[in-house]
Amino acid sequence: MESMQGILIGLSSAASPTNLLFCFIGVALGTAVGVLPGLGPTATISLLLPITFKMEPATAVIMLAGIYYGAMYGGSITSILIRVPGEAASVITCIDGYEMARQGRAGKALGISAFASFIAGIISVFGMALVGPLLASASYHFGPVEISALVVLGLIMVVMISSQSSLRALAMVALGLLLSTVGQDFVTGGERFTFGIDTLIDGLGVAVLAIGLFGISEILVLAAERKEQRTIIASPTNMRELLPDRNDWRAATGPILRGSILGFFLGLLPGAGALVASFASYVLEKKVAIDPSRFGKGAIEGVAGPEAANNAAAQSAFIPLLSLGIPPNAVMGVVLGALMIQGVAPGPKLVTDRPDIFWGVIASMLFGNLILIILNVPLVRVFVSLLRMPTSLLAPIILLFCTIGAYSANNSMVDVAIAMGCGVIGYGLRRNGFDPVPLLIAFVLGGILEKTVRQALLIGYGSPSIYLNRPIALGLLLAAGAMLCFPLVRKAINRRLSISP
Amino acid sequence: MSPIRLLYGIATTCLVLYAVPATTFAQSAYPNKPIRLIVPYNPGGSSDLTARFIAEMAKDILGQPVVVENKPGAGGTIGIGSVSTSAPDGYTLVQITASPIVVRPHVANTAYDPLKDLTYLGRYMVTNAPFAVKANSQFKTIQDVLVFAKTNPGKLRWAVGAPQGGPHLATEAMFRAREAKTTLIPVNGGGEALLALMGGSLEAVVVDDYARPLKDGEIRLLAESGPVKVVGQPSVPTYKELGYPISPTIFYGIVGPAKLPPEVIKAWENVLKKIVESDKFKEMAQRINATPYLANSADFTLQVRGDYTAMGKVLADLGMAKK
Repeated sequence: MESMQGILIGLSSAASPTNLLFCFIGVALGTAVGVLPGLGPTATISLLLPITFKMEPATAVIMLAGIYYGAMYGGSITSILIRVPGEAASVITCIDGYEMARQGRAGKALGISAFASFIAGIISVFGMALVGPLLASASYHFGPVEISALVVLGLIMVVMISSQSSLRALAMVALGLLLSTVGQDFVTGGERFTFGIDTLIDGLGVAVLAIGLFGISEILVLAAERKEQRTIIASPTNMRELLPDRNDWRAATGPILRGSILGFFLGLLPGAGALVASFASYVLEKKVAIDPSRFGKGAIEGVAGPEAANNAAAQSAFIPLLSLGIPPNAVMGVVLGALMIQGVAPGPKLVTDRPDIFWGVIASMLFGNLILIILNVPLVRVFVSLLRMPTSLLAPIILLFCTIGAYSANNSMVDVAIAMGCGVIGYGLRRNGFDPVPLLIAFVLGGILEKTVRQALLIGYGSPSIYLNRPIALGLLLAAGAMLCFPLVRKAINRRLSISP
Repeated sequence: MSPIRLLYGIATTCLVLYAVPATTFAQSAYPNKPIRLIVPYNPGGSSDLTARFIAEMAKDILGQPVVVENKPGAGGTIGIGSVSTSAPDGYTLVQITASPIVVRPHVANTAYDPLKDLTYLGRYMVTNAPFAVKANSQFKTIQDVLVFAKTNPGKLRWAVGAPQGGPHLATEAMFRAREAKTTLIPVNGGGEALLALMGGSLEAVVVDDYARPLKDGEIRLLAESGPVKVVGQPSVPTYKELGYPISPTIFYGIVGPAKLPPEVIKAWENVLKKIVESDKFKEMAQRINATPYLANSADFTLQVRGDYTAMGKVLADLGMAKK
């Protein structure tokens, strides 16, 4: 069968010494970039573009891909250790991952995160090989109408991931949606909430917001704590405690498998991506868990599932790029540029014209994940010991990296000021018992929602009945409605049961 | 004296000596230190790619590195604005395309006046942005589209890769000239526009990344919004040929703040001439479906002024210019 032949071509292409070397460089760089908050794969890939001009196209994409999914590995490290998402997609790991770290289980969190990413990576590769090209054309059917319905479903789910009261979660969601309106109106071009500041015309950046709300607020929280209480994490004493044990593996297997599959499919859809995948996984795990109240308090499922999902999604995002030429997100857009300048135009013909590139990239992800797991597992011990540093030394270093990260987003000091401001706001929120995670997610989703709903209505000639005419969108909206009504219906049934004799 | 004081003394002397050469370098030839080339867009687009390509090649010609920096935002005006106010020493330059220079200053307040605050060093290429439909579309010519749009107001859904850019406004002008009422769907970039077209959410698009879908037979070109015909598509008329008011050039060039010294202008004219006439550049341009189109500083300035004035007049006539 064609796929088998393709995979063999891909393996031989990916296993060449040059490609293996650049795969290694890519994933190592990606991990480093993922760890640093604010500095993301997009900036790194664009810095390396001139180097890729001189490479073979397959080698170039193998390296760039390595940077992207490597960043997903690295992004979770800071999420777990200091509750700062290295990548926006890793914000979900901040919830339970950091709690695990606080309980002295940082090594387990890091370990399960690495292994989950690895397994998800392998599953995603097989998914890509088996059904990738077929599903690619599915992207055509997932337009603004469908994306907006998916995001509505997502926003309903955001309230559910929060372990705090629904009212507080809703307040954070509302604030996140409000912040997403800052900037130029997508349709009319009018400026909203920009206060004359030029850099706000394109809105608040998610990286800057994340750095402020999580990183800088964390520093402020630490500074406010009494000297005796100041620990960032408790460090484990021996190697055995460092890695996940049998119980952890038993708990994590289900979430990893579910997360991988969920992430794989969501990564294929334009507009969804790693963040939506990881947080959908978290919601799923919370729903199927025997004891959902453990989530938010250091449940390993809350790390394993989302980590698997975001890695699977990061890899499957290459399918729409390579087989349709449609980049599903900004990072893929840069990779597309790198390919175009090499004279390789990704599209439906790429699979047949250049199987060495198409299958080579997919096969290289096998090697990439292998390299990453070999790199990351020993690093767990290194990172955990890094936190033995006194807080008075660690906190300023974190602050420095956050500041650099905020600046590097757009080479602008205004972003640094915004991050600082968000830090203060984040501190205020946390002191009063509000969790900033739903805020960040709602912020990302809100931007997508407003844009796609307005596009959908324009496509429907101004009538909301477009949602009735598109079966996928309709299905998603019904699911959202069901999710909203289900708790109320259950409550009503319970009351009925308890009243009637 | 004590060793510590000696050490301090040496350190201070070194610091002072380090500062002195900076003043003497000011007299040596341009360039004597790295040059910053700002790209006022996000990485990965054709502006960014070509700027990086040119930066790589310019390094060997100028003997100093040319470092690309992305400063995206507000349709390119933030990056250009930051360079227009920088020191006119030739070490801070910006890559430009048409929209933020020729269009945007007429419809919004920008930090710079394109006629007064910038020195145009040279133009290196132009691209096309044709009006395209799906290959199996009911529309075979641009006239079909215009007739349909006039008789079915609001039914023609289309999108542009670069909102408020030259091709967008030119197409709007064309629709207005034929009393066609259409529905413009805002999208983020040509890729999204093409996706929506192929998915059936749109009837037409005006984008500059048309080449691969055209080659694969997915789309059909009906007209070209600029004055230069699409390579290999002689039967596709330009808006100019069809007689519509605007037919803007989508140009790519390098620009610096006003009053750049003549040696800087000469150096960059030389650099761009060498690059644009090279086989490497021609090959790259062909790959991204652009046409190398060199213009020196004087010609480029003339072209920009002409386009700016013409666009201003048309926008005013359409009622789209700022008050």
